[in-house]
Amino acid sequence: MTILEFLQQLHDSAFGTALRESLYMFPLLEGVHLIGLALSVGLIIATDLRLIGVFLKQVPVADVLHSLRPYVLTGFVITFITGILLLWAEGPRIWEIPVFPLKLALIVVAGINALWFEIKFGRRVAVWGGSPTLPTGAKFAGWVSLTSWTAVVICGRLIPYLEVTQH
Amino acid sequence: MTTETIFQAIQSSALSLYISHLNASAGAIAQLFHIVGFLLILTAVLLVNLRLIGLGLHRQPIPYLAKVTAPLVTYGLLLVLVSGLFIFLPSAALYFPNPAFWLKFILLAFALTIQWTLYRVTTRLEQPHPALAGITALLSITLWFGVAFAGRAIGFLN
Repeated sequence: MTILEFLQQLHDSAFGTALRESLYMFPLLEGVHLIGLALSVGLIIATDLRLIGVFLKQVPVADVLHSLRPYVLTGFVITFITGILLLWAEGPRIWEIPVFPLKLALIVVAGINALWFEIKFGRRVAVWGGSPTLPTGAKFAGWVSLTSWTAVVICGRLIPYLEVTQH
Repeated sequence: MTTETIFQAIQSSALSLYISHLNASAGAIAQLFHIVGFLLILTAVLLVNLRLIGLGLHRQPIPYLAKVTAPLVTYGLLLVLVSGLFIFLPSAALYFPNPAFWLKFILLAFALTIQWTLYRVTTRLEQPHPALAGITALLSITLWFGVAFAGRAIGFLN
C-alpha cells in the first residue's frame, strides 16, 4: 500500500469524513495547530537565538534549555496531534502538494539536529553553557535549527497557496 | 459615509490597486512575513509571562527579560503591520463582513492596551505581587493568543 492509498483510506473513513465535513472542527484544529506552533517553534527559536549568541546572552544556556523544554514539548505534542488529525481529514489533497513532503523532510532534519545537539552538547550543558561565547558546534546546531524550523513554518503556510494554483 | 463604504474606498484606492496588481506570490509572501512577525511577538510575550507566573527562567530578573524581549515585540509588530497592510488593502471590502476580522482587531486593541499599560508596569518590578503578576500574564497570554486564533479563523469565514 502506498502512502497515498493509506491517506485515501483515512480520508474515506467515517472519522476522516466527519472531521472534514464538520463546520467547526477543521478551523478549530487549524487554530490549535497554529497555537501549538507558537509554543513549540516560538520557544525553539528563542533557544536557537541564545545558542547563536544574539538573544538572552546573560542567561546560562542550561537555564534556557531546561526552563523552556516542557513548553516546547507540550507545544510539539499539540502541533503533532492536530497535524495528524488535519492529515486524517485532508490527507490525499495535502500529500499531492510537493511542499508538504518537503515540510516533513525538514521536520526530520530539525529532529536529527536536535538529537545530535542533545547527545553532543545538551548533556554537558552545565560545563560549557555559562560563557557568552559558545562552542562552534552548539552555534552551528542553533543555526540549523533556526533555518529548518523557519522553513517548516514557511512550507506549512504555503500549503493552501500552492494548492490553489494547482487545481 | 458608512464603514462599509470606507472599506470599499480603501480597496479601490490607488495603493490598494497597485498592491493587488503585484505578482500573485506577493500575497503569499505577505502571509509568510505576517506569521513570522506574529511568532516573534508570541515568543517574547510567552517568555516573559511564563517568568511572571514562575513557570520558567526563574533565575532571571523580570525587568531583564522584559528588556531583552522588547525588541522582538517591536520588530514583530512592524512586520505584522506592514505585511498586514499588504494583505488587507487589496481585499478590504472582503474583510468588512467577516466577524473574525473584527474580533481580531478588538482583541488586538485590548492586547496592545495591556501591553503598554499593565504589562509595562508589572515587568518593571523585580518582585511583583503574585496576584498582579498572575493577572498580567493571564490577560496578556489570553489576548495575544486570542488575536492569533481569531486571525487564523478569518480565512475560514470568508
